[in-house]
Amino acid sequence: MGKTSLLDLEPGRAFLMCNEVIARAAVHAGVGIYAGYPGSPTVEILESMLEMASGAGFSAEISTNEKVALETAAGAAMAGVRAMVSMKSVGLNVASDTFFSLGYTGVEAGLVLVVADDPHAHSSQSEQDGRPYAPAALVPMLEPSGPADAWDVVLAAFETSERFRVPVIVRTVTRVNHQSGVVEVRRVVPGRRAKVHWPHGPARFVTVGASARAFHKAALERTEEVRRSFEASPLNTVERRGSRVGVIASASCGGHAREALRITGGEASLLTLATAWPMPENLVAEFLSGLDRVVVVEELSPFLEDMVIRVAGRENLSVEIAGKHSGHFSPALEYNADIVADALARVLRIPAPVEPARAAETAAVAAEGLPSRPPTFCPGCPHRASINILRTALRGIPHVVSSDIGCYSMAPLEPLVWGDSVLAMGASAGVACGLARVLEEKVVAIIGDSTFFHAGMPAVANAAYHGIDFVLVLLDNGVTAMTGQQLHPGTPEEQQPPGSRRIAPEEVLRALGAGSVTIVDPYDRKSALPLVRQVLAGSGFRAIVFRRGCALHSDRNKRRRGERIPVSEVSREACRSFLTCIRDFACPAISLDAEGKAAISPDLCDGCLECAALCPNSAIAHRKEASE
Amino acid sequence: MSDPYGILMCGVGGQGLVVLSRVLGTACATEGLRAVTGEQHGLSQRSGSVSIHFRIGEGAFSPLIPLGTAEVIAGLEALETLRYVEYLRKGGTVLLSTLVMHPVTETAARIKSPAIPYWDVEKVTERLTAIETRPVPVDCRGIAARSGAAVAENMVLLGALAALPGFPVGRPSIEEAINRVFAGAVEANLEAFRQGTREAVPGF
Repeated sequence: MGKTSLLDLEPGRAFLMCNEVIARAAVHAGVGIYAGYPGSPTVEILESMLEMASGAGFSAEISTNEKVALETAAGAAMAGVRAMVSMKSVGLNVASDTFFSLGYTGVEAGLVLVVADDPHAHSSQSEQDGRPYAPAALVPMLEPSGPADAWDVVLAAFETSERFRVPVIVRTVTRVNHQSGVVEVRRVVPGRRAKVHWPHGPARFVTVGASARAFHKAALERTEEVRRSFEASPLNTVERRGSRVGVIASASCGGHAREALRITGGEASLLTLATAWPMPENLVAEFLSGLDRVVVVEELSPFLEDMVIRVAGRENLSVEIAGKHSGHFSPALEYNADIVADALARVLRIPAPVEPARAAETAAVAAEGLPSRPPTFCPGCPHRASINILRTALRGIPHVVSSDIGCYSMAPLEPLVWGDSVLAMGASAGVACGLARVLEEKVVAIIGDSTFFHAGMPAVANAAYHGIDFVLVLLDNGVTAMTGQQLHPGTPEEQQPPGSRRIAPEEVLRALGAGSVTIVDPYDRKSALPLVRQVLAGSGFRAIVFRRGCALHSDRNKRRRGERIPVSEVSREACRSFLTCIRDFACPAISLDAEGKAAISPDLCDGCLECAALCPNSAIAHRKEASE
Repeated sequence: MSDPYGILMCGVGGQGLVVLSRVLGTACATEGLRAVTGEQHGLSQRSGSVSIHFRIGEGAFSPLIPLGTAEVIAGLEALETLRYVEYLRKGGTVLLSTLVMHPVTETAARIKSPAIPYWDVEKVTERLTAIETRPVPVDCRGIAARSGAAVAENMVLLGALAALPGFPVGRPSIEEAINRVFAGAVEANLEAFRQGTREAVPGF
């Protein structure tokens, strides 16, 4: 953000988001390739890398999914060129097959995976703790605490990766990714970029049978070497105080722990661990010795705590460990200083702060009855119209909706409440295959265009192959909308970057064997409705493509081109308060006026006229006079 | 170590909260102040509630403001200030835009029960006063429109913040930051900020 490219920031103090620091550090580390698929809270890494790519002379691309992104980065790292990939927690599930093999084969040049967990599930389908992937795949893992140390952590990740010829995870959480702060900016010096020659003999990266067994043995030995190197890592911090109580915090919880010590005035030594796995066991053992009690502060599962318990047991230390097993902390939700202060006070046997409880109680009284404000479809969103057309066409027909990940994941939530399952990227069509086999009801699967390319195609092939009876609805808005309207293979040709070629989703659907593919425009309700009804009445595996550009994206493009965005209004005379424009539609631009008639906010309206198509009294039209 | 100065910024997705934070943070960098934020904007463009914990001072380790310790809540939308009031210290200030954006859930509920009135600024300030906080309504939209950039409501609110007694960041640094952060409409944004400092809090 701002006028200056992230690449050109002058050394000195600046206010940056952690994701921007991670991206700058990767460029400074000399990545030749960056690849990723957008997912909150990592989107700003992807966008920062795309922004810096041409200036720094590396290649940056949005891959079709995280597995392909990891493979792209791995290919470069196998050949001897540093590479980075970033993804949200569940992205590593998608990439995990390749990830596990890379833990065996290793790499030639530095390969860093930034993987962001989302405690509190702010914008994810789960609070998945991704850390156990590291020991499971024998891949080392580092953790920054925020923008202040992310630069050092990313550089250390590349050094560790290259020194031990192994991929390295940089693990973050939402509150680290989306943390900004005043940091000392260092100059980014991008590496030299030239094609390299394949430096290996045959079969260097072939893992099967005997070679897999050899790789496994080597990986176990490598892990111990990495562990030894982590013992002295300057990224971990130890603050000794004359107390027999200690705190061990994961890097991401270090800030909460420090703050809790400040708030409570408690005396305790503090160890923060940036080398999350393999854990530097001697460092931990040394920290534990001389302590009577230790508080382990980490969000989600007792990943660190279990390792601390093991070290304490091995060293025969009689130290009480306060964590999740003792009930001091919950494995659910994200932490803050108050939660940590409360646990710390119990362990230190000092009074816990009372202010948080008072503030929370007072606030609950003050905010009683306040309406919730969940994220919802934007004014002009084609999904709102598509969903309304589908619901209208399905009226009176018992049906079950298997949905997917994207903006349309909001349909089952208040206030629309339409849809039955949302599991994972691409799962809509797969789940529908099972539903359609066993249900009496009609089955509808809903998937977005980007999600279709990401993980939907194998399930579509399966449905077509087996001739399973359901309707796949492909909501094609031309971009990966939820994460900020990034481009994908189906994005209209004129918006594609040079060298990229559009792949039309309907052609893919036909090639994969869909019995029929019907394309409709959700803004043209009159034409769409009979076509949708007709497809729904049919049988076998068939698809409907609802095509209309993402409103946010289209409006931004229009503004860029200097085009006027019209605004709609409700005629006071014509409106008879049927409120069909509000019921089952829920546009943030429409509310009720003092007389109980519909009123459109000109500040929010996108002029899509979706609401006009619903009004039985034809009370809605574009405003006549010119507007901005 | 002194307590950090906590500002809980809030609003509705698309109102420019992140830019507001970026400008103030850039000003902190100029002044050599430690600043740290916790930003909740993963789904920011979906008309949902958004918030930024903004903390200034040496003791600000966590990206999140401890409950009951924020000096001020700064809301670009009136209703949102009530949603985050648990972070405010006793007797703290609430700068609230007089703009009310009715959530779709509120309108949906009113269709079912038309007798329930919409929430308004008066109801919000009453609630805030009842719990001994100090609400300061600011006509961000009107002031922004008069300063030539209707979208500069965020800079008006920043002006109001900067005018609070004891605010730790100086106005010249903020004006310099506006110059650095905005690629266009710098003058209008500067004007909105200045109008905010002058008009927004006449009591000070």
